[in-house]
Amino acid sequence: MVDPSQMGMVAVGAGLAVGLAGIGAGLGEQAIGAAAVGAMAEDEKFFGKGLLMTVIPESIVIFGLVVSLILLFVF
Amino acid sequence: MGISNNVKYAYIVARVRAMKGKLIPKEMYPKFLNMEIPEITRIIGESEYKKDVDELGKKYRSTDLIEHALNQNLALTYRKLIEVSQNEANYLITEYLRSWDIWNIKTIIRGKFSGASEEEILEDVVSGGQLRYRDLSEIVKIGTVEGVIAAFAKTPYYPALEGYKGDLAEIENALDRMYYSNLIKAVVTTGNRLFLKFLKTEIDLKNLKMLFRMKRAGMERDEMIKLLIPGGMEFKESDLARLASLPMGEFVRALEEYSYWESISDISGELTSLMNIETRLDKYGLVYASQISYYYPLSILPILDYIVSKKIEVDNLRIIVRGKEMNLSEDIIKSHLVM
Repeated sequence: MVDPSQMGMVAVGAGLAVGLAGIGAGLGEQAIGAAAVGAMAEDEKFFGKGLLMTVIPESIVIFGLVVSLILLFVF
Repeated sequence: MGISNNVKYAYIVARVRAMKGKLIPKEMYPKFLNMEIPEITRIIGESEYKKDVDELGKKYRSTDLIEHALNQNLALTYRKLIEVSQNEANYLITEYLRSWDIWNIKTIIRGKFSGASEEEILEDVVSGGQLRYRDLSEIVKIGTVEGVIAAFAKTPYYPALEGYKGDLAEIENALDRMYYSNLIKAVVTTGNRLFLKFLKTEIDLKNLKMLFRMKRAGMERDEMIKLLIPGGMEFKESDLARLASLPMGEFVRALEEYSYWESISDISGELTSLMNIETRLDKYGLVYASQISYYYPLSILPILDYIVSKKIEVDNLRIIVRGKEMNLSEDIIKSHLVM
């Protein structure tokens, strides 16, 4: 177990894990989102594929979230 | 190319790829060859050209309808590319598509020079550049070549036109040189080396076609050099001067040193028709544009590939329809198709 006086640092770590993962996913989604909107503007059939491709980088945020939950509740 | 540049091109490239997916597949062309004109008109009228065919259906019939619909669709497609693109892509597309302004100016001046009717001239006008169809159709109403040139006084093309002294080839050449030198300048300012590579290859192919034509017409070396466009990739000015001075047989053999040779090598023994060579070179240009667009997927190249492919689709459809109208054999029509 982490010493109660160190809990603040764990919370900061958990925050960074989610926050940085979110920024990374956002950067990744920029181009994918733009491309998906471009393809959809021409053909609505690309909506499904475009949405799927756009959310793929979101998985990185889930990893970050898992890490932060482990930090907060397992340690 | 950094992340931000990739993002800038992602939207327009995805859109253009989706547009390219809607082009008529090359497997359709042999099928068109077995059809009659009304059937081809119906199929074209149900495709991406539907809106244009419906709109112009009241005014034109049969092959004229297809011709006008194809031209209108081509112009609107190119205009759309300019409207949906931003920043560097927009600038480069606008500059590249100025070739249609040059085409229209040449068409109108040639038409007036040879005494063609307004309707005949408008049949070949494609307002894909900066000059609007409405303005061009007003200019077509002017009776003389000098009047037409004066009407272009406020456009950036006037410096190439103002020296007109009755020689059409001279101003046409001046327009071409002006277009390519301005385009190279524009591309160099943006530092887009991929576009520059594409452009230099395009200049080479244009020079090669011109060399074949001029040699066939028996022109003098100095006259040829005056008409060739400098700035190519493989044909430097010294190469052009050397090639221009060779007689036809040696000229064809000298081409073996260049990479364009493979596109025409199989017909080099039977250079009976210039059309054959031009079709091969157009095909080379089409395949080249498509190949390099896959090497650099998030760049200006897929857009240029689409511009070239769309133009070739319209040309192919026009060749099929006009060939059918003139009762040409399937083989002759097929040999003129670029696919």
